[in-house]
Amino acid sequence: MTDTKEQLFNPGDYFTYVLDQEIRNAGMPGGYCGFALQLAETPDLSALQQRLDLLVARFPQASAKIEPRGKRFAWVATGNPIPLEFHQCQPGADEADESQRLLLDIFNRPESRPLTVHWIAGAEGGTLLLIWLHPLLDARGCKILLDFLSSERPDSFKESSSLIEAKLAQWNFWKKLQLFFKAKRHNTAANSLDSCLPTQIEQGPQRLHLKVQRFDADQSQRIAKLAQQATGLTGRTLYYLGCIMRAMEWVGPPAAKDGYCIPYAFNLRRQNAPTPVFGNHIGCLFARATREQVRDRTGLFAHLVSEHKQVVRDELDLAYLPLMWLGQWLTPAKYAKVLRKQHSGGELSSLWFSDIGELSWRKQGFLGVPVTDLSLMCWMSLPPGLALLACQLDGKLVLSYSYLSPAIDEAWLDAVIARMNVELLDSP
Amino acid sequence: MKEILKHFIFAELIYHEDPAAFGDDDNLLDAGLDSMGIMRLIMFAEKEFGVTLPDTEIEPDNVGSLNSLESWIRRSGYAG
Repeated sequence: MTDTKEQLFNPGDYFTYVLDQEIRNAGMPGGYCGFALQLAETPDLSALQQRLDLLVARFPQASAKIEPRGKRFAWVATGNPIPLEFHQCQPGADEADESQRLLLDIFNRPESRPLTVHWIAGAEGGTLLLIWLHPLLDARGCKILLDFLSSERPDSFKESSSLIEAKLAQWNFWKKLQLFFKAKRHNTAANSLDSCLPTQIEQGPQRLHLKVQRFDADQSQRIAKLAQQATGLTGRTLYYLGCIMRAMEWVGPPAAKDGYCIPYAFNLRRQNAPTPVFGNHIGCLFARATREQVRDRTGLFAHLVSEHKQVVRDELDLAYLPLMWLGQWLTPAKYAKVLRKQHSGGELSSLWFSDIGELSWRKQGFLGVPVTDLSLMCWMSLPPGLALLACQLDGKLVLSYSYLSPAIDEAWLDAVIARMNVELLDSP
Repeated sequence: MKEILKHFIFAELIYHEDPAAFGDDDNLLDAGLDSMGIMRLIMFAEKEFGVTLPDTEIEPDNVGSLNSLESWIRRSGYAG
């Protein structure tokens, strides 16, 4: 959209738009995600505003609106600026609590814009909060966007076309058809194991809350070592998935069924690539295990690695791309049913999960200011009403749990998080 | 073999400003090859070179550079 006023959704954008609509239809703000960076000092806020103005000039999609185009949807440029919004922690209050309260107030408010940026001022530093609508870009894109806002060479950031479309273009019709049926068979298998859920509640007013677990450098190294032992060099993400399944099973899932199913993204972006900035360049994979498999720690990790390897070997990671491509012609309601509902009519996802990987501002900070902490958040459908976002800030593991209240019982979640920490550190 | 591996890695898994300048002993993990990328690389190598790379040997010494990858694939029975 760098040079044009309109950009059709790619299949990944529509996939996330459908989930955004599910969230909105349930009375919540929509499929918004957030990065909150704790900064040691106040950055040059006028420089940040100038950079936001440059963002809209260079990438009009940043403040575009969504409009239907036949059966599909498109981003249409509005040219509206993105004003940096200021918030102030009340003097005298506990700054960490007050900052978190403000952050959640902002995240819970109704919103229609695709991207908003906030500065929550503390006594010295503060929190930079960037909230984006998922159809606009994926989490790795958000890191690129933050790099753009902070870069000394913003001209070096350029847009490029959809990686999903590029991948699809490599395959002839028969290959696409073959992959489509592979994915369909895989979905049928996933939908036959009824998923345990963290709540029995399916409707009613909800507020999003956040709990963040931060691990120090020693703990993070220990977890990385244990992950390598349990799931090999190839499976740190699978280690987190196995641990959260075991933690939920240990405490007892409020909606107990046959097993666990956790979707996780497969990113088509190359590591460290500065482009594309906008759009979703993701496929979807599922980690699945029966409750019996989950109870055996060693066996569970072996199962998850074996299943994942088989998925990659069978090209099922890429098989979702033709499925997502065809999904573009379904209505949001019909597509949502395909994405969420099992054969029994129950919800497929035991929780939402994403591993953002390593994030670092160690070299130059954000606009020259050190980033001392980070939390991530996202809205999700109900059920499951729970999302776990993992990342590492300068090598230190950060786990952010977004959850809906009252759907998710806070005491239950506290117990799950405590058990999750035990599982990660393998210290029962 | 290294050229085929290099092309796949820099076309699909890691961004590098100048892939031609990336040496055969340069560290792929430091360059950004992550856990999911390693999995895709191994599956690609198994299919491309007709070998089975044992799970127990997936370690930095075998996937850390183009040279180490090539040695691992040859040790695993690649006859090409």
